[in-house]
Amino acid sequence: MKLEQKYQEWFKLDNSAKIFPEVSNTKETNTFRVQIALKEVVDPDFLQLAVDAMMERYPMFKVRLKTGFFWRYLDYNSSPFVVKPMLHQVCGPLSPKENNGYMFQVYYRNNIIAIEIFHSLADGFGAFMFLKSVVYEYFSLRGYPVTPDNIVLTKDSSPTIEEYEDAHVAYYDPKNHKHVPEKKAFGIKGTPINDGNIGMISGTVSTTKILELARGYQATVTEYIASLLMYVIYTTQIQHREHLKYHQKPVKIFVPVNLRKHFPSETLRNFSNFVKTDMVMNRPDITFEDIIAHTKEKFRYGLQKEELIRKMSENVAFEKNIFLKLTPFHLKKYAMKIGYNIMGLSLNTMSLSNIGKVDFPDSMKPYIDNVSAAVYSGKFNTLNVAIVSFEDKFKLSFTRSIIETTIEKEFFRQLTSLGIEVEIESNYVEVYV
Amino acid sequence: MKHCDKCHIVIETNQKYCPLCHQVLQGKGDPSVPEIYPEYIPQRREILPITKKALLFVTVISILTLLGINLFNYTGAMWSFIPIGAILYFWVIVRYGVLSKQNIAFKLAFLTTVMIIILNLVDQTYGDHRGWALDYVTPFALLACNLAMTVIIWIRRIDYRDYMFYLFTIIVFSLVPLILYLFHVINVLWPSVTAFGLALFILLFIVFFFPKSIKDEFKKRFHL
Repeated sequence: MKLEQKYQEWFKLDNSAKIFPEVSNTKETNTFRVQIALKEVVDPDFLQLAVDAMMERYPMFKVRLKTGFFWRYLDYNSSPFVVKPMLHQVCGPLSPKENNGYMFQVYYRNNIIAIEIFHSLADGFGAFMFLKSVVYEYFSLRGYPVTPDNIVLTKDSSPTIEEYEDAHVAYYDPKNHKHVPEKKAFGIKGTPINDGNIGMISGTVSTTKILELARGYQATVTEYIASLLMYVIYTTQIQHREHLKYHQKPVKIFVPVNLRKHFPSETLRNFSNFVKTDMVMNRPDITFEDIIAHTKEKFRYGLQKEELIRKMSENVAFEKNIFLKLTPFHLKKYAMKIGYNIMGLSLNTMSLSNIGKVDFPDSMKPYIDNVSAAVYSGKFNTLNVAIVSFEDKFKLSFTRSIIETTIEKEFFRQLTSLGIEVEIESNYVEVYV
Repeated sequence: MKHCDKCHIVIETNQKYCPLCHQVLQGKGDPSVPEIYPEYIPQRREILPITKKALLFVTVISILTLLGINLFNYTGAMWSFIPIGAILYFWVIVRYGVLSKQNIAFKLAFLTTVMIIILNLVDQTYGDHRGWALDYVTPFALLACNLAMTVIIWIRRIDYRDYMFYLFTIIVFSLVPLILYLFHVINVLWPSVTAFGLALFILLFIVFFFPKSIKDEFKKRFHL
């Protein structure tokens, strides 16, 4: 490739990526982690080679963030990328200046390959596509007989324009962008962990058993888990605290929706939206059945195409506003910060990201043990959950920025009381910090 | 595998406690199996604190001594501000030149600008031969900065696109002494012309040999 040609590779930030650089700091890092545990110890040299090869295939990751006059943008990054041993800190702030400008990091430890990525680059889907490609390349460098089967992007294919389009702008509707005001949500309070460290507790359960449980209520797995979380929040945080009930804020669980399932886009950058549960829990006798009925209704409403388009268009309209467009970036930055504080974090109690089943070619499956993900948690959203399933391993990862583990404890005790076996993993943050 | 008989969960760890309820775990772990997640290692400090403390102490003492001598032997001029300015500039160099993780072009441009401002303040306040800072120092500092940046980009073979923006800034700055000459603020012409000449030379060099990269850089910086 000619040098001059390579330099053309720069990208505008996509619609939802624009907000993250302005509202991120050491407490609200806006990073998330996706990881694959192999059945063997990872060799860092092979991993480095695999990542190097994949950087050419994923030009939207080989970038650094720069500031222009009107907007920030992602510019081609010619510096080398280095894989690193995993740190204790989960989803900590990524420091591009110490990282050759890159906004993601590839970690290895024992049998784990993990990617921590800043949300401006991609969403969970894009990050998993990249991770799968890296792991595929790693296996083929190790000499294993793996084939891509059109599930994994390999270095033999070349990047397409569709993979880095801003799909929000492609599918939004300028006539349907009404802003619906929302109430602030109930927040889970606790003792903050020092130095912005994050505690992680994951539980692995059987996918088939969880599916059975959810089907018992004619609900999807996401609906079931969201309801169970709400029930646990209710029993541990609200039910027995009378003083909360007079000004009860609704409990809202933010559930990201992968819009690629609703719109025909192949983008690897951000393309997700959300549905929310929203329930004022000021009665002393709310049952799990009440909650799941409510959740199912909220999901049905939130997943209607018009509603998804409305939420998407609300954000795109903001970007398309001609006055805002022509405002110099350093002023625009403050408008975005204020907008985010009004519409952002304090509207959610917690987030539940269900990445779902991660597909691998059959040839790769024998070498993979489990797959998981984690989302940062910060000052207001003190507890977040990410779910990934691979074969019969359904892994729920709780990340928390507070020391208390009440909700995790109660949640897993609920599952074990239903006869489900749970295997726990923890980074034992409380021992060290 | 260990288990917690209160939470009814199993866990593979060498830690003693259940992460959920902090009760002692039952069963035997396998010490040969490493922990899944690494232990916490505190971040290293950026500067040795004792060095920093000593330097700050010396700085404060020197500033106070200088002020003291100046005030007790006051002869009509606050000459102590000149060495104090130099000391403060040293700290600017440490903070923005040495410890900062910004790229070298930013450091050069920033430090040159601060130096020009300090020297102009000195010139405006003291001495009989006023105007030397604007006449000579400003254009030559810009020239030196411009030259240094070009040489660094050339020698270190770094991606020049990252530095182009700073190069442009310096070129625009180099115009300032010329404009000041037109308004008779500056009296000596040749240093300003030399500085602007070099800036123009570098700009034309880029325009002739890397025209596309300039166009792209503008597209990127000013996209709507």
